[in-house]
Amino acid sequence: MIEARGIKRTFHAHGAFTGAHVVQALRGVDFTLPDGGAVSFIGESGCGKTTLGRILAGLETFDEGELLVDGADVGSLGKRGRDEVFRSIQIVHQDPYSVLNPTRTIAATLGDPLKMIARRRGEKDKGAQQARARELLELVGLQPDGVLQKFPHQLSGGQRQRVVIARALTVDPKVLIADEAVSMIDVSMRLGILSLLRDLRERLGISLVFITHDVATARYLGEGGELHVIYRGEVIERGPVETLIQSPVHPYTQCLLSAVPVLKGLEEPGPDRLLPKDMLDANVETPGCLFEPRCPFATDKCRAEHPVLGAETIAGVEVQHACFHPEVRNVAAVDLETV
Amino acid sequence: MTDIAARADAPTAAAEVAVRDLTVCFPTDTGELAAVSHANLTLAAGRITGLVGESGSGKSTLALSLLGAVPSPGRITGGEVSIAGVGDVTKLTKAKLRQLRGGQVGYVFQASQNSLNPLKTVGRQLLDLGRAHDVENLPELVKRARELCELMGMDGARVLDSYQHQLSGGMRQRVGIVFALVLNAKVLVLDEPTTALDMLSQAAVLRIIARVHRDIGLTTLIVTHDMGVVSELADRLAVMYGGRIVEDGPAEEVLGSPSHPYTKALINATARVTGEIGRARALPGRPPDLTSIPAEGCVFRERCAFAMDVCASVEPELARWRDERRRACHAEVETVTTEGVAAS
Amino acid sequence: MRTWRVLTRKPGRIVGLAILVVFTLLALFGPFLYSGPLAVDPDDVYAGPSAQHLLGTDFAGSDVLQEIITGARYVLETAALSALFTAVIGTGVGLLAGYHRGPTDSALMRLTDFVLTIPGLPLLIVLSTIWSFGRPLEMALALGVTGWGGVARAVRSQTLSLRERGFLEAARGLGLSSRHVIVKELLPNLAPFVAMNMLLAVIAFIAAEVALFFLGVVPFSSSNWGVMLNQAVFSGGAMDSTSALSYLLSPLVCILLITVGIVLFLDAVDELFNPRLRERS
Repeated sequence: MIEARGIKRTFHAHGAFTGAHVVQALRGVDFTLPDGGAVSFIGESGCGKTTLGRILAGLETFDEGELLVDGADVGSLGKRGRDEVFRSIQIVHQDPYSVLNPTRTIAATLGDPLKMIARRRGEKDKGAQQARARELLELVGLQPDGVLQKFPHQLSGGQRQRVVIARALTVDPKVLIADEAVSMIDVSMRLGILSLLRDLRERLGISLVFITHDVATARYLGEGGELHVIYRGEVIERGPVETLIQSPVHPYTQCLLSAVPVLKGLEEPGPDRLLPKDMLDANVETPGCLFEPRCPFATDKCRAEHPVLGAETIAGVEVQHACFHPEVRNVAAVDLETV
Repeated sequence: MTDIAARADAPTAAAEVAVRDLTVCFPTDTGELAAVSHANLTLAAGRITGLVGESGSGKSTLALSLLGAVPSPGRITGGEVSIAGVGDVTKLTKAKLRQLRGGQVGYVFQASQNSLNPLKTVGRQLLDLGRAHDVENLPELVKRARELCELMGMDGARVLDSYQHQLSGGMRQRVGIVFALVLNAKVLVLDEPTTALDMLSQAAVLRIIARVHRDIGLTTLIVTHDMGVVSELADRLAVMYGGRIVEDGPAEEVLGSPSHPYTKALINATARVTGEIGRARALPGRPPDLTSIPAEGCVFRERCAFAMDVCASVEPELARWRDERRRACHAEVETVTTEGVAAS
Repeated sequence: MRTWRVLTRKPGRIVGLAILVVFTLLALFGPFLYSGPLAVDPDDVYAGPSAQHLLGTDFAGSDVLQEIITGARYVLETAALSALFTAVIGTGVGLLAGYHRGPTDSALMRLTDFVLTIPGLPLLIVLSTIWSFGRPLEMALALGVTGWGGVARAVRSQTLSLRERGFLEAARGLGLSSRHVIVKELLPNLAPFVAMNMLLAVIAFIAAEVALFFLGVVPFSSSNWGVMLNQAVFSGGAMDSTSALSYLLSPLVCILLITVGIVLFLDAVDELFNPRLRERS
């Protein structure tokens, strides 16, 4: 189980042409990931979701806040302790090819961590390691004989991603972080990976942190999923996936959902669908709401005060949002079958 | 805002593009293999056509054929590509082809946001483009580029003075479109115009494509693997698999009642914000690449839910079955259209 | 099988390999073809090529071909060993520096800088006054220990860029040890780079030692190509008369042939090590 409180991360960048500038990647993110649960983070590029994923995987430090993994405060652990904790949190990236060593076969890639674990446990049985590798490949939906002796470039994108997941499973993780894990995979194979993640949740009790810019994919991760919408390092709305999609209250969430293309012939646009304002380069730091410059419903109050994430019941729906003028708008596409 | 379509040197009518029996082959260790096989496709004048296919379907190769720019060692081994007012692209001389590219057919490459020279400003690259096409009146070209930028919601002067790293991904994509259209092309081809763009930028770019298409009066082809990208824009939709066009027709009808098992399976496999989650199903197996396209019979049969014996030996022909709809399948239309997916 | 296919894809590679094989055989077995010291024939000085002396004779009437063949070993052995030393030391230093970064990197790079600033050739000239470099190993050591700076730098920069590749981060994330990452993940990816560098280094080292012997600053006890050049130019008057042409040209042509051979073969090295390139049809 993961508990994150007030995670902040600031980058001090120094561009060659733009000079020094400070980027607040995360401004105080809280969330709880229960065992076997699924939390999805959605936002535009640059909103901080990838940084959050990397922090959770231990690949990045954070400047303020607390991160508790199974009750242990990561910040107070030494290097050894941290390594052990983060080994139980494995990350799956967008590009499966880049995380596989191109000069090693799949058998070798899976064998390395298995060998390491066997050594740690004092087990010498090579046969057991090979059997486990095969078992994991089957678990992720691959034919071991068709894959073990191949090199990464000989597999399709979908197969590679499954190998990456199999490798992550070799160390018996409790949490899988999927950072845009299906964005580079062909459409016909995406759902396969999403179903696999769902299966891992249901069968092995592995929790998921799912980072994406495609809201629709967050629906296929199984029951009880939570969706958090991030804007410029802040969570501005969160709740159960279906609730958020059908009854979003924050204008940014509504803009995101409005931007999802409608499959005409199968769906029709939501009745309240928003036509977003043209994108400004909104990178200024304001004392008020960060989304205000682009918000179609902004008022003076939004410019002056900064809204904080809080719970409220609107139109009979329990929601958590950070907005001064929340309103339920049905912006998501509507399936024609239900009409 | 100047109405670009009314300019004296602008094309007055959109052009139809007819691809007939096009075959494009690549040499391999095992002989010449077809990346595109006997493709028949018409891009109706003034309309937006979406060409949907996954990796290895041959869609990018087909799109490049419109420019006569199939990357070597590939080559067009049969068929023709006729553009109204230009002739058969496959028969053009090198000089005429250079003129065609940019001059009559504008092509926006995949990830064109990464194809700008990082060491030159956008304006300089524009001038390079003009000179490469022997444009005499360069100031006029710059003016047109500025107008196109305004049309796309960008500050023309600022963009032309910028280096590529000073522009966001969405803006660079738009610059790619400006470059494709600045020489008064009447046909616009976009290859995966929204890869690597998030939802909001994608929506913005798609809206801009629609606006530009309408205001200038273009014939547009959008090549993509994501049905969502073309579902709102396209008038017509064509689906490709293994180098063949397996289905095409009016976009709404193809999506609403797909007549080919692959189209249907692809729609079912697409993650959607609405609709029953349980209905969605991934396709078994993987899309074929050049070397694994079956030599005989239907290329889709191994992943097809409706496969029959005849599919293993006889390749189905792309045939009209209703008004403007065509399909290449042995199974009966009724069998495929009833079962799952929204009916309308 | 795959190796053969890679080699035969371009004819140049086979030619390159053939040249290298021939010279390697020469170096290994050459001296056994001729036993005893060089035959001297004062009546037949600087004779042109003939049936008896395929490449003519030198200033003392000795057969040039024999000198070429027996002289090959020293030159090639030294160059190969030097290349090996610089590759091993340079890769080791560069890898460790690039992988660990921080203080290790700074320390190793300072060391590398020092080595880089050592003027190789002049140092060897100075060393030669106290060290006779009788055996190839000795010269190889001298050349190798002073010449690994460039390789270290290059390997370090390759390591730094490979480090950013996802698969290294993934390996660490899984808990795999540094040793594993360096040896099993990094090294195979560096292999083509290092191999190519080594082959190119051989060319450079041949040139370096031939130059040293040619300049006459290194004392020699037996004949080798550099010595031949030295003799030809300085004591044989080869620059003034054409009769010594074959004596002068023979070692030069050999060096040229080896260089060409290595360059042609180099083309195959990247493909041999990189499984991805191998499969491309």
